Amino acid sequence: MLEVFVFATLNGLVTGLLLFMLASGLTLIFSMMGVLNFAHASFYMLGAYFAYSISLKTGFWAGLILAPLLVGVLGAMVERYGLRRVHQSGHVAELVFTFGLAFLIDEAVQFFWGADTKNYRSPEILDFPLFTMFGQEFPAYRGFMIGISVLIFIGLYYVLTRSRVGIIIQAAITHPNTVANLGHNVPLIFMGVFGVGTALAGLAGVIAGPVLTTFPGMALVLGSIVFVIVVIGGLGSLPGALIASLLVGLLQSYAIASDVGMPELLELLGISFDRNHPLNDLWTLSLPQIAPILPYLLLVLVLIFRPAGLLGKREE
Amino acid sequence: MSILTLNNISKSFGETEIIRGIDLAIEDGEKHAIIGPNGAGKSTLFHLISGLHNVTGGSIVFKNQEIQNRPPFEISRLGLARSFQVTNIFHRMSVFENVRCALLWSKGFRYSFWHLLGRQSELNDAAMHVLEEIGLSDQAQYPAGELAYAAQRALELGIAIASGADLIMLDEPVAGMSISEAENAVELIRKVTSGKTLIMVEHDMNIVFDIADRISVLVYGKIIATDVPEKIRANPQVQEAYLGEVASSA
Amino acid sequence: MEILKTIAKKSPIWIAYLAALLGLPLIFDSILAISIFNQMAIGIVFALSYNMLLGQGGMLSFGHAVYFGLGGFLAVHTLILIEFETVYFSIIFIPVIGGVIGLLAAIFIGSFSTRKAGTVFAMISLGIGELIAASSLIFSDFFGGEAGISGDRTYGPTFFGVDFAQNDQIYYVAAIWVFIATLFMYLFTQTPAGRMANAVRDNPERAEFIGYSSRRIRFISFCASGLFAGIAGGLFALNYEFITEENLNAATSGRVLLMAYIGGLGYFIGPIIGAVVLTLMNSLLSNYTELWMLYLGIMFLLTVIYLPRGFAGFIMMHQVAWINNRLRSLAIPYLLIGLPSLVLLAGIIAMVEMSDHEGEAFHYLGFELDPESFITWAIVAGFSLAAYAGVRAALPQLKEAWESANAVPDSKDSKS
Repeated sequence: MLEVFVFATLNGLVTGLLLFMLASGLTLIFSMMGVLNFAHASFYMLGAYFAYSISLKTGFWAGLILAPLLVGVLGAMVERYGLRRVHQSGHVAELVFTFGLAFLIDEAVQFFWGADTKNYRSPEILDFPLFTMFGQEFPAYRGFMIGISVLIFIGLYYVLTRSRVGIIIQAAITHPNTVANLGHNVPLIFMGVFGVGTALAGLAGVIAGPVLTTFPGMALVLGSIVFVIVVIGGLGSLPGALIASLLVGLLQSYAIASDVGMPELLELLGISFDRNHPLNDLWTLSLPQIAPILPYLLLVLVLIFRPAGLLGKREE
Repeated sequence: MSILTLNNISKSFGETEIIRGIDLAIEDGEKHAIIGPNGAGKSTLFHLISGLHNVTGGSIVFKNQEIQNRPPFEISRLGLARSFQVTNIFHRMSVFENVRCALLWSKGFRYSFWHLLGRQSELNDAAMHVLEEIGLSDQAQYPAGELAYAAQRALELGIAIASGADLIMLDEPVAGMSISEAENAVELIRKVTSGKTLIMVEHDMNIVFDIADRISVLVYGKIIATDVPEKIRANPQVQEAYLGEVASSA
Repeated sequence: MEILKTIAKKSPIWIAYLAALLGLPLIFDSILAISIFNQMAIGIVFALSYNMLLGQGGMLSFGHAVYFGLGGFLAVHTLILIEFETVYFSIIFIPVIGGVIGLLAAIFIGSFSTRKAGTVFAMISLGIGELIAASSLIFSDFFGGEAGISGDRTYGPTFFGVDFAQNDQIYYVAAIWVFIATLFMYLFTQTPAGRMANAVRDNPERAEFIGYSSRRIRFISFCASGLFAGIAGGLFALNYEFITEENLNAATSGRVLLMAYIGGLGYFIGPIIGAVVLTLMNSLLSNYTELWMLYLGIMFLLTVIYLPRGFAGFIMMHQVAWINNRLRSLAIPYLLIGLPSLVLLAGIIAMVEMSDHEGEAFHYLGFELDPESFITWAIVAGFSLAAYAGVRAALPQLKEAWESANAVPDSKDSKS
């Protein structure tokens, strides 16, 4: 029991931190520009694919550095030449634009790389068990994932709160006009933030690719979950996104790991139904089964009872 | 007879007090101007009365009913209409549609999805009448967002008065207009608000002294004087706070 | 009575519409054509219902397929019930079942999700959509799991001897339903609720100041759109006699968004255009190239950036010029820019196809293109560049002509 809990927690942590890497970029972009980047998970996918192609030539580590940069540059270009033009048509148009972008990136990836799953592997250096507990191994690569995530967040925190650029960004989030009047180039800041946000997503893709498999559907798998997280945590709140990411990561991990379900609950209550009961599907529900929909359930509940999310500010 | 009474209204946003205890009684049929320096809280006051914001304290009584903290649509149905400082029209709909929509509730259509508007001759005639009054009947079919600025302001006014509200609140109706445009706008305001109560926020003193029966001066969230124009002009507190050198020559 | 008089005003259009709907299969009577028309019919109703939300009401939903799918599932179950004679009525009324379910679902979901429009609404719709799609895989007794459920439309009482076994027979049922649905969705836009939906879309704040609760208006639009989406689901069930979880999921929601957007939001005819165009691309283009989805994606993105009002919007952009009677002055500038644009498009597509064909020669617009040949690449690229130059050259003239055709006269002064 304990070993299940420990490993579920560790795996949940890995997932949660990964999700936060995606959610943080999304939150930054939303806070800054008011647009929820539907294509965020697509940049994550691009990160994985770029890293894969690079790793074929020069190994994993070059990909780790270069792929996020490539994705970031691409993101900045998208902002400069696409999003900025759509901005004047309103928020709905921006959302639809990013939605179309996600669709296009999906198709483009299949065009350039094919529709098959890519054999993107983690580096051999990290191919050993970090530790063994209760007879189960915890791969070093996962430890690496946790390590990189934490490093990035510490770096992000320091840049945002201690550096000059970070302070300007924080100001531009709430008062872009004032910041512009102070002489800062707000469009450039926007482009930079979008680039950094997408680069973060790309980085997440680089490290997650080997573990979560690199295939054209990988954006869809994570895409909705990331939105759920950002909304639950409160649109525009980084701490909220962190809490929500960890919450969702751990929740899903525990749900999948546990073998508890409705049958056990009903047994506890002393009720039983025969197999031909029309609601049989409901009575045989198990936690691992509903694990994929837990985030959405949480989303709907949060949006109904606390539309601002856990830590978000009220929408103006 | 007081159509609108403000009883010790206050409004704070977080720590910041914007409105700090205002008492005011507007008489039925009077033309009342509110003036004051920028940041005094004039627009906030409008927002409180029309229901956009909740009050932090005090009560607002309109036609013997308390309206503070009620949603704008309820207040509007009681017969209170307002215009906005920044033009706030339905920019994708035609000029005619803008005015017709403003008429719908007062004509009793509510949320009907079974009346076909093309057949409602009384409604359509009333809408055309409003358009004629505000001088936009030639541009009835144009999308409202395409109109020139002064025409949009006229439409803004038209939407406010279309429903036949008894109390009309205009927030800087001639802002951004040229002198001749403003003159026309003032004539229009005079015409469409005759017989009704008007509360107007305005900076142009000539217009204020021209139209207003009484003036209230709002400074830092409090009304420092309410009186007829001549007395306001002569009031030393007002001069000090707002009018400055101009009034000392009167 | 009032309905008739309203239609009578634009009756030539409605008559033409009905004639087109009923007459098309007489002109194009191949099996493929009938199948395409059936798909278009379903798409038209679905896309029109979506536009009630987005174009008319300003509410972006990523979960509209829920009402379509739920309507479809109940419709197929009803077909099964008819087959086993648990209930017994003609299948031409199946779309009613779909509509009722769509309406009920929309009333329930709309009760908590229409408080705000904008991003919050979009996110709730996404969450609900994913929730229901995922749940449908879990509740496999009702939804049939991954395989879905299927029914048979040839049971139940025959309609004047017709048992609807053939596709063209069911097409006429669909055509009548499309006409009825289009009519009622159009009439809705002419009602106070429909017009206020437009007002709430444009300016929800101001709508409150003319006496209307924006939330209530949004709720009404939401329910109406759910009703018609359910009808579309019923038509789907009748046509395919089969429905799966895919018809409720985000991909289907995305497809209807695409249809409505490309056709043009906020214009009634927009989604009809979008449904027709997309169905054609889906069925015809996919026979010629594997890359049609890629082209669709590019086209969609370009539409969002350059033609935010879609094809219908593009047509309606000329409204002011039409009122001013200056439409004719735009003809030549359009021609001067249109021809090089077409060449440019053909060139780019040729180059993309050549990259995809990996060494094999293939037919393209009557030419044989060989991706291995440098000369072919040079020619195509050359034409494309020349076309691009032509477009750039013709642009200023078009701008000038456009501006002069669109001048709005000043408002008259009002003298008291």
